[in-house]
Amino acid sequence: MRPSPLANPLATVAQIRPSSSQIDNIPSDLEDSVRFAGARLTQAAGILLRLPQEVVAQAIVIFTRFWVGQEGGSLVQFGAEQVSQASLYLATKLSAYPKSAKSVINVYAYLDSFPSTFIDPEELHRKKDPKEYYVSEGTYQTRRDALFKVEQYVLKVLGFQLHVSLPYTLCITYLQALDVFRHPLGRELAKRANAHLNSALLSPQLLYLTHQPSQLATAAIYLAAKEVGVKMPDVDWWEVFDTDREELGFLVVGLLSVESFAMKEKEKWGEARVPMTVDAVEAELQKRSTSSGVE
Amino acid sequence: MAAPPAASPPKGTARRFHGCSKISEYDLLQKLGEGTFGEVYKARHNRSNRVFALKKILMHNEKDGFPITALREIKLLKMLSHENVLRLEEMAIERPKGEGRKRAILYMVTPYMDHDLSGLLDNPDVNFTVPQIKCYMLQLFKGLRYLHDNNILHRDMKAANLLINNRGRLQIADFGLARHYDEPVPQRGRGNGEARREYTTLVVTRWYRPPELLLQLRKYTPAIDMWGAGCVFGEMFKRKPILAGSSDINQAHIIFELVGSPNNVSMPGWDTLQGAEQIRGFPPSRGKLDREFSQLSPQGLNLIGELLKLDWRKRINAIDALDHPYFREQPQPMREEEIPTFADSHELDRRNARGQKQALPPAPAGGTVGMGPNGEWTGSGPPQNTGSWMNGDRPRGPPGMDRRGGGHDRRGPPPPYDHRNPPPPPPHRQPNWGGAGSSGLPPPPGEGRHPLPHPPRYGPGGERADRDRRDRGPARDSYVPSYEDVSRPRDRGDGRSRDPDERPRDGRRGSRDSGHSRDGLPDDRSDRGRGFRDRDRPDFARGGRDGRTRSRSPERRDRRDRDRDNVYRDRR
Repeated sequence: MRPSPLANPLATVAQIRPSSSQIDNIPSDLEDSVRFAGARLTQAAGILLRLPQEVVAQAIVIFTRFWVGQEGGSLVQFGAEQVSQASLYLATKLSAYPKSAKSVINVYAYLDSFPSTFIDPEELHRKKDPKEYYVSEGTYQTRRDALFKVEQYVLKVLGFQLHVSLPYTLCITYLQALDVFRHPLGRELAKRANAHLNSALLSPQLLYLTHQPSQLATAAIYLAAKEVGVKMPDVDWWEVFDTDREELGFLVVGLLSVESFAMKEKEKWGEARVPMTVDAVEAELQKRSTSSGVE
Repeated sequence: MAAPPAASPPKGTARRFHGCSKISEYDLLQKLGEGTFGEVYKARHNRSNRVFALKKILMHNEKDGFPITALREIKLLKMLSHENVLRLEEMAIERPKGEGRKRAILYMVTPYMDHDLSGLLDNPDVNFTVPQIKCYMLQLFKGLRYLHDNNILHRDMKAANLLINNRGRLQIADFGLARHYDEPVPQRGRGNGEARREYTTLVVTRWYRPPELLLQLRKYTPAIDMWGAGCVFGEMFKRKPILAGSSDINQAHIIFELVGSPNNVSMPGWDTLQGAEQIRGFPPSRGKLDREFSQLSPQGLNLIGELLKLDWRKRINAIDALDHPYFREQPQPMREEEIPTFADSHELDRRNARGQKQALPPAPAGGTVGMGPNGEWTGSGPPQNTGSWMNGDRPRGPPGMDRRGGGHDRRGPPPPYDHRNPPPPPPHRQPNWGGAGSSGLPPPPGEGRHPLPHPPRYGPGGERADRDRRDRGPARDSYVPSYEDVSRPRDRGDGRSRDPDERPRDGRRGSRDSGHSRDGLPDDRSDRGRGFRDRDRPDFARGGRDGRTRSRSPERRDRRDRDRDNVYRDRR
């Protein structure tokens, strides 16, 4: 009943499909796109708010949990941008780095001022004209109100279950247990493994919701070791970290597929914006039905 | 926590909120207490017939959305499981009838405990025997060992937060101020260790506040909870708080009177602490613990001396306290089941019986936490003004669990205590339930009963709040005394937010950390190196409450509005 501090409550297969959005006739590819863009948005906002990756990762997991299952939030009812905001806001509240609603709203306004969803990361640091993302007092108040509402909704949908265990520290512990840091490439390996853990946050397979942190950490190490070329023990070492071969295989494939998924998304949306609000989703659906009607 | 399904909403998406039941599943039996924040009720779950305590979370001042402290407390409690720690059973939701602006009210559901220690000690019919005290202390130490071992600092240890049931079980309650502790946990025989990072000093009710906090040590350790346990231990013999300081400086004064003045042996490094300057003028004292507690056995005296040790590094930790010979000597501790039962003692009852004159608890400052609005001592030399103008009009705090509601979202800075002379007497403090201006409110229930001062509003880091308060707005949070006529210069150190309402309206100044996002969005994280406090507290600029966004799907709107609207928000 009480979660272990190291474990997360996981989503069952039945909970993942169908999601509330799918029940509301949102095509699942659109849902994947929006969820992916929302997770990236959360990550970007977290960076701009200078939050530790731990907090950002928790926010992304909260964001992802929100959409899961028939009891989750639906894109017909909630915009991904708002849910991302609320998730990040909640995650910071629980961390040692709370951010004010004002900061959060400003950062999202800034991110919203870019013309397309898939911008060059360099763009993020380009000096922009503040007019492009200025939030007036009135707008701020409206948005803050909306933020607080969605925040409560997130709490309710999650049943206040905001605890998120992350694999990052476990990953380091495992690497130490494997004595990896004595290897000259040990640090490199650790970096790769962390990078995979970060990518996994964006996975359309919702890996953070379907697997325990220990398994994610193990898979990230396994994959990173292959990539970096560090030889791991000749035994089934992953068993020690509570991961069996089958899960390991699944996760490695899952981790590897994030990249191609991301590339496809980028190609698919190009200069366009992924619909991050309820209205935009509706418009996108309209557009799709019109274009399919034309064909 | 399986929650019964809520009624299906119109559209095909049946949503259920796990972890939350409806309030209609409970029959409210009796109000147990009321505090700054709201109320605690005794209630019966109508299907299981079990009795629970329901603590209301009010959100009248939602400057920062869902109260951060409630959020932290809920999250923490959900992760804890120990027989000496009050357990959070679930969350219950009350949806006020009628449409409109009403918001759901949330309750935290915990097991019902018959007494709180503070109420029990006030009950003239109750006499604690030594074996009974030992039994309670063992349970307290077990709970603390569990918390500390799990990297949690309680930060509001006091008798009112220790709940006791009629089966002799003691549980630590009220985690509104608790936080994760980022340091190695205490080890057997090694005291409480040292902290590397800084935490806010705005914690712990004054009477239970350890000397290092009074001297502004920011790198504190689980030793702060152990000091509180020492105070509670003494309190069980004296039947009243043993260190009832009338102000922060007076608190330091009486601590040193009791246990001796700090010096480089008893409290190495004391004179380098920020607050040290103010206590240099104190007359030297050699301590009088043995005289004060002459009823204790030598081992008992040794234990209280270990708990009330000035040197926080050497103060005994919970692991070692459990092994203390005091618990092995005669008379042996009672077993829980041998403890006699008493009539329920809750602070509210006691207060009602007692009327106004009883001394009040210190409050957690502000409720619980904290020191005066100014972080530093402002008095010069020993306190001149020991009259407790601040507390005199208040009775003792309500039982722990019920005390803090306000606490949840309003850990405002504590009222200024004494050391500023001449302190204006606090104006009437009225809860601001309606949210209208401060006038025209119904009198708070039992005016003046409100026991404890507020906890600092935002939890850790609360001390850095507003530096510049020009726009005070109507006193919405009328528990917070008005400082209008206190005309001291406010320097940075004393800028603490009492109420976000007092923040400047322009919103810019209000958001300290938003500065980051304005300065050209650098991606370096240099701020990590800054003191914890600097980043730790949120600050929320003020803003209006109108301008709600419309729900998009009309068929769901009603439900949503009901869910989200706060009953306490009645301003447009």
